[in-house]
Amino acid sequence: MNKAHWDIFCQVIDNYGDIGVCWRLARQLAAEYPVKVRLWVDELAALKQIWPETQLQSQQYLEQVEVCVWSENFPAEVKPADVVIEAFACELPTTYLAAMQVKAQPSVWLNLEYLSAEDWVEGCHKMLSMHPSTGMNKTFFFPGFTEKTGGILREKTLLEHRAAFQGDYSKQDAFFSQLGLDQVNQRTKETLLVSLFAYENTAVASLIHTWQQSKTPVMCLVPFGKILTSLNPLLNKPLEVGQAQQIGALTLIAIPFVSQQEYDHLLWACDLNFIRGEDSFVRAQWAAKPMVWHIYPQDEDYHMVKLNAFLAHYLAKTEPMLQSALSNLWQVWNQGGDVSEHWQTCLKLWPQWQRQSQSWCKQLSQQNDLSSQLFDFCQKRATEKG
Amino acid sequence: MICQASSSTFVKKELLKKAKKQYIIAPILTVFFQLDRSMKTAQEVRAGQVVMINGSPWVVQKSEFSRSGRNAAVVKMKMKNLLNGVQTESAFKAEDKMEDIVLDQKEVTYSYQADPMYVFMDSDYEQYELEKDDLGDLMMYIEDGMADVCNAVFYNGKVISITPPNSIEREIAYTEPAVRGDTSGKVMKVGRLPNGTEIQIPAFVEIGDKIVIDTRTHEYKSRAK
Repeated sequence: MNKAHWDIFCQVIDNYGDIGVCWRLARQLAAEYPVKVRLWVDELAALKQIWPETQLQSQQYLEQVEVCVWSENFPAEVKPADVVIEAFACELPTTYLAAMQVKAQPSVWLNLEYLSAEDWVEGCHKMLSMHPSTGMNKTFFFPGFTEKTGGILREKTLLEHRAAFQGDYSKQDAFFSQLGLDQVNQRTKETLLVSLFAYENTAVASLIHTWQQSKTPVMCLVPFGKILTSLNPLLNKPLEVGQAQQIGALTLIAIPFVSQQEYDHLLWACDLNFIRGEDSFVRAQWAAKPMVWHIYPQDEDYHMVKLNAFLAHYLAKTEPMLQSALSNLWQVWNQGGDVSEHWQTCLKLWPQWQRQSQSWCKQLSQQNDLSSQLFDFCQKRATEKG
Repeated sequence: MICQASSSTFVKKELLKKAKKQYIIAPILTVFFQLDRSMKTAQEVRAGQVVMINGSPWVVQKSEFSRSGRNAAVVKMKMKNLLNGVQTESAFKAEDKMEDIVLDQKEVTYSYQADPMYVFMDSDYEQYELEKDDLGDLMMYIEDGMADVCNAVFYNGKVISITPPNSIEREIAYTEPAVRGDTSGKVMKVGRLPNGTEIQIPAFVEIGDKIVIDTRTHEYKSRAK
């Protein structure tokens, strides 16, 4: 049986969210479905950061995915695939679009949109779009948290792997040793192990201050990134990758920017995860551990609407005290305010918070994942056309 | 050595070039419609306007704007093909470029409803009938005795859409009482117009107050003077 060809186009706007989502999708499709996947990305360096095996060359195979550089001079001879995904509303190369127009068997063309928990997403998911200049049909595909959306990325064996890792301390120790973090393995039982991944955020000052004075020791692992810019001015000496600093009850350790697989392990091993944007946000939900989300800031504070839309789903089945505590902590964290009081409230509800994280993960796992929904949709479309 | 795309500028420029070429090679259509054309982004297109998609004129009956990720947005449009009457719903990226067509227009006012048609009249007492779907957002403000001067758009001598003025004055028929002391205008509540349309209004607005509404966003603008 001939495998269908899928092209995924990814334009890296900033950070690692675009490539993070596209690369996970490409890997999963290639590994779990009878499809040949080609990923076009305009910034290989971003891919290399999250997948270190990446070579800085125009074409290569990684994890059964053909990875090609999407350059300004897009090769005119490239034939359009059976399925074409433009990720996050990027514009396809004109030569490629022209080739799609004359293709005998039209490609299934999808715009894979950003993840949002807002209600309007359900009304736009799988909605057709007439391309204004060519009249070709494209479909808007929205990831989401409800049955009426496209779901979120989840590999078939993800939860199995997570459970095995979380249930085996030797695996966790080995993971931290491999990262050169033996200090993590020597922490006391009562230490709260935290990963801190966020955009620049002034709220980090109150968080650090609270942790310093905490009765529970806190060990905070900070992957190299933007949050260090907000964190370092608060310290006597800037924290550099590989270094640790002890301030009261708080141990801060700056760790290198880890690969996607390592990051999953980090999320699974920590007691609490601060995450940001879209990719790490999704992965933290599969970790089934308490989390605090730093959403991508938007004009006119519109991100707060999106944050609250997610909280409405996330906390829908949660008891009122925890609901209000988490909602306050997340909102103040995203507004750059003083989180001390809200942190203390959440900490008092720690066992409930843990249970809530697990039940949310379980609830999400009942939903079909994004890749399977994309695959099923395209199969159906291909059958209709055939 | 690898070559990396700096941004989407290159692609967008190419699309614009292509769009301009299409404009040049379509003089026959231009003459046929006797109209002005310009490029608009999907987010700039309002209900009642006509856009050209792949050679066909489509009247936009309804347009909904939703903010997507980063600072991108999605526009969902209900549209009708003016050549074959086919209706469809379509999603667009807010930045999608569309050819906007300016057709003949006339000022009209609402007269009465002769179910299922809504009847409007111009200054020469000429009557024009339209169905609910063709009135788009104007339906939110239709009420007996309204004197608002609306804009009727014509295609081949037939009215195809009517849009309200950008600002419209309406009385609040019902709203919950305000929470005492809040006069900031930041706290909003639901206000119902005489025709049943609900909009967000500041907490200080009371039943019987007249307000000005921006019909492009359906938002409260101010108290009527």
